[in-house]
This record gives sequence, structure tokens and C-alpha cells, in this order.
Amino acid sequence: MRIKSLELRAKVVVEGLWKGMHRSPYHGFSVEFSEYRAYVQGDDPRYIDWKVLARSDRTYIKKFEDETNLRCQLVIDHSKSMGYGSLGFTKADYAATLAATLASFLMKQGDAAGLTTFADGIEDHLPARNRPGHLRRLITELERPAKAAGTSLAVSISQLADLLRKRGMICLISDLLAPVEHLEKQLALLGAMGHDLVLFHVMDRAEIDFTFDKSAHFRDLESGTERFIDPQIAREAYLKRLQAHRDTIQTACDRHNVEYHFCPTDRPLEEVLFDFLSARQRKKAGKSSAIAA
Amino acid sequence: MNWLFPLYLAGAAAIIAPILLHLRRRPPQDRVEFSSLLFLDAQTPVPVSKRRLENWLLLLLRCLALILLALMFARPFLRSESAASTSPDRATLILIDGSASMRREDLWKRAAAEANRAARDSKITDRVAVAVFDRKLMPLWSFEEDRTTAASRVAEIATRLGSASPSWSGTLLDRALIDAIALFDSSTASLKKRILLISDLQEGTHLDALRSIAWPSDLSLQVQRLDVATVDNFSVALAASEEDRSADAPVRIRLSNTRDSQLRDFKLAWQDAPQSDSISAQIPPGASRILSAPPNSTRATSLTLSGDKHDFDNRVFIAPPQPRTVRIHFLGDDATRQQASSPLYYLARALQPTATLAPQLAASPVLPAQSPDILFVSGVTPGAETQPRIRDFLRRGGFLVHVVTSPADAGFIQAITGAASIAITAGKEDEDYRMLAEVKTGHPLLKPFADPKLRDFTKLRFWKHRVIQGMGASGPLETLATFDNGQPAIVSARIDKGTLILLASGWHPGDSQLALSTKFVPLLYGWLAAAGFSHDPAATLFVGDDLPLDAAQSHVVTSPDGATQTLKPGEVFIATQVGLHQVQAGVNRQIIAVNLPPDEGRVLPLEPQKLADYGVKLAAAADTDAAPSAAEQQRLSAVETEQRQHGWWWILVALLAVLLLETALAGRSRHSAAAAQTA
Repeated sequence: MRIKSLELRAKVVVEGLWKGMHRSPYHGFSVEFSEYRAYVQGDDPRYIDWKVLARSDRTYIKKFEDETNLRCQLVIDHSKSMGYGSLGFTKADYAATLAATLASFLMKQGDAAGLTTFADGIEDHLPARNRPGHLRRLITELERPAKAAGTSLAVSISQLADLLRKRGMICLISDLLAPVEHLEKQLALLGAMGHDLVLFHVMDRAEIDFTFDKSAHFRDLESGTERFIDPQIAREAYLKRLQAHRDTIQTACDRHNVEYHFCPTDRPLEEVLFDFLSARQRKKAGKSSAIAA
Repeated sequence: MNWLFPLYLAGAAAIIAPILLHLRRRPPQDRVEFSSLLFLDAQTPVPVSKRRLENWLLLLLRCLALILLALMFARPFLRSESAASTSPDRATLILIDGSASMRREDLWKRAAAEANRAARDSKITDRVAVAVFDRKLMPLWSFEEDRTTAASRVAEIATRLGSASPSWSGTLLDRALIDAIALFDSSTASLKKRILLISDLQEGTHLDALRSIAWPSDLSLQVQRLDVATVDNFSVALAASEEDRSADAPVRIRLSNTRDSQLRDFKLAWQDAPQSDSISAQIPPGASRILSAPPNSTRATSLTLSGDKHDFDNRVFIAPPQPRTVRIHFLGDDATRQQASSPLYYLARALQPTATLAPQLAASPVLPAQSPDILFVSGVTPGAETQPRIRDFLRRGGFLVHVVTSPADAGFIQAITGAASIAITAGKEDEDYRMLAEVKTGHPLLKPFADPKLRDFTKLRFWKHRVIQGMGASGPLETLATFDNGQPAIVSARIDKGTLILLASGWHPGDSQLALSTKFVPLLYGWLAAAGFSHDPAATLFVGDDLPLDAAQSHVVTSPDGATQTLKPGEVFIATQVGLHQVQAGVNRQIIAVNLPPDEGRVLPLEPQKLADYGVKLAAAADTDAAPSAAEQQRLSAVETEQRQHGWWWILVALLAVLLLETALAGRSRHSAAAAQTA
């Protein structure tokens, strides 16, 4: 988060991940030429360009762009509660970096990424694309400051369902600090529409542990209401309620096959991304094995 | 310890407030922004009070400050000293303003009534003196008279005040107060001294001289200001005249309106002049304007302003033009007056009368019996029988201009100056014309050419000149100007009181272009000025000024009210009235205008406190009652003792020290609290 530019931040995370993984997790078949590369032992001889070999007596591998078959819609919570942060950056910053990283990663491997921001309703919507300049547009959108509004998950997801007609992946990045009674219903709706749902639950460390020690007037960022709280007294109840809230979400996700990632803001993004990708691979493997069975 | 206002001590009870405030727990003011209160319980109750005091040192200082404040307002003093210093008898000098501004409404009557009341209210053992002042102090009833005839004090003061009246003079309160201090003689040494000033205390009052003295600590001044119904007033005064000095030059007037005045419209007119000789206009409040007086077709001598209620300062007197006569004699034939080639012809035409000077030019080959003021000699050499008279004329202060025309003049010059080596020779005939090369324009005799604009002598040509030789460096003769061949052109000498000017070339066309040049008339009038006939107009005179009289002559002065006073030589006449004064000195009669001092027209009242700014010790308000009761007397003495001891002042110092300490301590504790919070 020390890097100011969101684009650069995302790039650093993705590059690091790329190097760490050594291997692209996806190898789709190629239809569109990308570049030539000298053949090294172990490369699949299917990809050797014979015409070049005939002309120049050199073995070259012809690389192709992977075919785009994934449409990922990044859905970012832009409510005021996302403006909270105790580590020098806010949850909104973290969410934006996460979204930019995901978009960058997906677009680098040829998938289309779109962006939707919401608070008490859908604010902005960029359909999933994979065109030159789309990432920049997406990042510009992500850098826009959050609007002053509360969170209404139910309304937002309902509106989103209307917007996303084509099936694809939906990455919902939110702190989910809103009543979740209707969340399960909305998740079920999106699942029924054939979308692949991933939920990134972003929370600040101070929210998770409630690490306050002095009595003070606590002001709700979304509603503006103030309440005098003695943390010593209130902590226990707070943690209990938060855990219940998380459990509710977790249960709803499990029930509707939603991939749930809990993301405290002090957790490195590489880790989150790695977890995400691992989970994707596991899911893919699971699907393959299920089909095989 | 006694208290002047003990009720204020109750104010010390206010210390309960800081104690309560220290006991009260300040609800935490910290505000924390949190993402959501979704999982937080209802509000925790805010604690209100503490069981024990915190910051007791701060509390102590705050209580102490409140107690000191109450003590200060209660005005403490020590009774023992007060009893010792109190004296029942007073020495009061009643000082009445008698300046021109007291002519407004019934101010003078009220002032006299106040003075009479003060005299009546004083005890028989008190000492009372009365004095009236304007530009100077005039005692009416002295402490010495009061000491010897105290019983008849009231009647005597009333009689003397009845015969007095306000003057036309300005108000020099500073001088009057300084002189009044000296009126308290040794008989009043053991008494409580005070001056009771009864005045309108107008803005134009002079106070500056009060800064030059140290006001006696045992003398207090009680001011009884008399106010009028309205202070709105126009005032008019003469303004400095412009360069135009002719008799018909317009008179310039300075017109002022008081601040916040309701008046706007005024009318300025010459006395008894027709309607056409007046100006009707407006002047805003607080403004001062200089304007030209209306045309004076009737040759009136006073301008009158109308439009306000107070007319004491609404007249300006202007003396009619009275050019001074200058008797000038030309030693030569009067018949040449009409001959364009003769020097007299040009002299007669150059010496024209002006607004201030009336030259009378006479011409004859012999010196007249009555010595002229200025003597011109050109073309002739005074004979041996005339020379002693001319020498005598010069020694008595005469002014002689001699054009050297022949070598025979050397003997005449030698006889007058005593310089035996003087020789005159004719200049070379075949020579080209000469011009002036070096002119001492700084010399008093060539004063008109001191202005660099008038120093161009290059158009002035001398066809013929004589050579004056043998002057010597140490002789009485001094060269004022030389020709371009280095020979002297104008030479002067002081002979006793008189002045001699020698010209090496004449001004008539036969000798030079001087008479036809622009330099001639200024040169002549410069010589007239050097002879004591200044062209400058007389200074404006105000009431209280000395009339400009010739100390060598006796005069008869007729005041505006018709009173006549004969003055011996050397005696002075101080103007006490506004108006035209006639001064007769021998055959000469001069009219001198005396006006009201302009400051007297500034009638807005001053606050008595203004006097305190000049170091005057003002009496306390409680000190004003003339005959207090016993209880009142005791209270008054307490007031005075308290004022002398200044106990409250020390408490104030202590209070400030406590407050400083409290501020420092509070700042420190706040800082440490903030540091702890940051940590």
C-alpha cells in the first residue's frame, strides 16, 4: 500500500505472483498469434512453426493468445464504511488494490474483466471487456473516491442481477457491514443465473479484534450516529456478534457454493490472490474429477 | 485593614465555582470514527462526577485569583494612616475661564454663579481664592485677602465677579494652571489644596505646556465643565494670503464647521455690504475650507459669517490697504523727470505704489531739510557743503545709492567712507560693452536675485562705466558685482547705521540697459526692503498680541471701543479687543486689525480626563461636594487615603502573577496530558 499508483500496485502483485507460480495456471488453446520464441527441449512440438523452420532452418515456437472464455465482473463496495482503516490505508484502498490486481491478472491471461461499484445501490458499471485500454479505464474507475452512502447489499445485488445477463464470474469485494438477512437470497439468485460467485470479505484489523482501550464517542461512518462506548465493556459482545455475522455469511456461502475469502487488510494481497487461484484450481479439478467420475 | 467597598468581598464566594468544576468529571471528548456500530451495544452511561479533587494546585491558584479579584474591587486601605493625614480645612482656588468662548449663551453667568456657590459653600476656616484666566491669569481674590478678611469673602467675590467679563482672548489653560500653582502661598501649606476649574473646556484650549511641569502631588484639580445647548458652530479666520500682493487681491478665509454638526448652510458677507457681496454655500461637519471672500465693493473692514447660533467667532477684521510712505529723494534736476535719457525718468516710473508701499519721489539739486528715507545721487557730485549732511544722513541710518559718473566723485566717497585710497577713472571709450560677470546674489542688498530663476544677467549690457579703484581688501567697501573685465560694478559699504551703494554705471540708457531690463524694479524694491520698507504684508494679529509699534516713537492707540491710550517710546500695547486699532505716530496713522485667535472657534468640549493625560492630578468624583456631612467626610477621607495608598494596585500585580502561574501550570499539565495520550 506504500505505492501510490493503484495500477503499479496491482502490477507488482501480479508480477510477483507470476514469478512465484512459474507456470501459468491456465493453458487454453490458442487461436490468435502472439509471438515467436525459440524452441527449447520439453516444449510441445505441436507448436513448432514448420514454415519458419523450412525457411530458416530454425525451430521456433509460435505462441498464441489464449482464447477468452471467462467474463469476470468485479463488484466493489463503495459505501462509507469502506473508508475506515486503522493501518494507514482504508478498506476501500485495499479493496481497490485487490480488484485492480485481479483485473490485471485476469486480463493478462486473456480474460475479460468488468467493474461494478455499489453502496446503497449500483453506482457505476463497466461491462467485462478485454481490450487495450480497458484495464486503465477500470483502474481509473477504481481510483474514484467512494460516495457518501450506506450499504444495501440486497438492493445492489438485485440490481446487479439485472445488469449481468451473460454468465461469468462475479467477485464481490465488500466489508459486508450491513444486515445479511437477504444476502443468502440474493446469492442464491446469482447462483441460479449461472454465475460463478467469489466473495472477498474485507475487514480491518481494528474491526476484527476491536482493539480500542479508551472510552470515547464512536461515530458510525455510514449513518453518522454517535454512541459513547467503553471498549472494555463492549468488546466481548462486539466480538461475539461479529463472529455470528461472519458465520452467517460463511454458512450462506457454503450453502450456495460461493467461494468465500476472508481478507483482513493486514493480509498480503499476494496471499489472497494465491488462495483465490488455488481455490479456483481446486474447484476446476473437482469439477473435472466429478465429470470423470 | 479597612475596605472602601466591602460588599465586593462577597465576590470571593465565587471560589465555589472552580471547586465544583474541579469535582466535575469532564466527559471524555474523544471521538472515534468507526466503520459501523452494527455490532456495538447501546450507549455506555457517561460518568459525571469524581470522588476526589484533581489538579489541586491549579484549583488553589484559581481560587486565589478569585479571592484577589474580590479584594481588589473591595479597595483595601489602612485606617491609621488615613486618620493622620486628613485635614478638615481646604485651600481652594476657583479658576474661571474668561476666554472668548465663554461669551456663548449664558456661560459666563453660570460660571460666576458656580464660583459664588463654591465660595458660599466653603467653611470659614477654609481658604478661598478666585482668578480668571484667558491667555494669562488674573487674580480676583487672593489667599492673602481671604486670610485677613474671610468674613466678607462671599460678598467681595460676588462683587468682583460681577464687574468681570469674558475677554476676546484665546484659552491658555496650561499657562493659567502653571501660574495658579504659584498662587498657593505658605498660608495654605497645611491645608488640602485644590483648584476648582470652571470652564467650557473647549477643544481649542491650549494644554501643551502642562507637559513641561511636574504637577504637585498635594494639589488636585476639580473640573466643573459648563456645557452649552448646542456645540454646532462655524468659525472663520484669515488664511495666509497668496503671492498676489496687490490692493485688490481677494481676501482668503478659512472656514470651519464642528464635528458632527447639524449645520451646513452659511453665509459670508462684508459688513453693511449689498446682497451681491456675499457668499451662500454649504460646509460639511468637521470640514475646514479655504475660500476667497466675496468682492468688497464697499471697502468694508469686517467679514461676517452667519448661519450658526454662536456669533462670538463669526467676524474677521481686515485692515484697509495702507501703503507705507517711502520718501525718496533724487539729488538732481527735477526737470529731467520727463526726459527719457535721464536717470530720474526711469526712477520715477519704476517706483510705483503697491499695496504695502507708497514711494514718494522728490528731486532737487539740494538735500531737503527733512531727511528722506532713501537718497539717489546720479550725474552730480554733492558739493562740499552737502557732504556733511549726507554723512550725517548715513550715520543715522540713511540709505544712499550713488552712481559714480566722474573722477571728482572719488573725493565725495573718500569723505563719506573715510577710505582715502579710493580713485575713480573713466572706463575706456573705445571698449566694447561690458556685462555683469560675478554677482553676489546671496547678499542682502541683492536679495531679489536669490531665486535662481532670476539670476540670468546675460541680457544686461553696460555701454559705459567708471572704474572704482583703491578699495583695498580690508576697507569698508565691498564688491557686490563685477563686470566681465573684473572691475567692480556694484559696491556697498556700511556707514554706521546707514548703507551706501556705489554703481559704476548708471541705469539710464546712456550708461546701460539696466533701467530697461527686468532686473531694475526688483533691484530697487530690494533696496527699499533693505532700507526697512518691506514689501511683505503685516502679520495677522490676534487678541493678546503686541501691536507692532516703532520703539523710537510715541504713539496714540485708539481701541475699537473708542478708548485712547498714549504710549511713550518703547512702551508696548497688548490688544485686548477684536477690531481695528488706530495707531497714530506723529503724522503717520496706521490701522491695525486684531482678530480672535482661531483656536477659540474650536468649541467642542474636552473630557476632563484629558487633563489627567497631561499629568494633572484630577480630584476624585467623591471629592466634588463642597460641604460634606461627618459620615460623608469620613468616607471622603477613606477615598482619599485609599487613592494615596494604592493598595488595589499591589493586589492587581499579585493577581496577574497568580494568573500567569496558573496559565503556565495549566499549559504544562495539558501538554503532559497530550503527550501521554500520544504515547
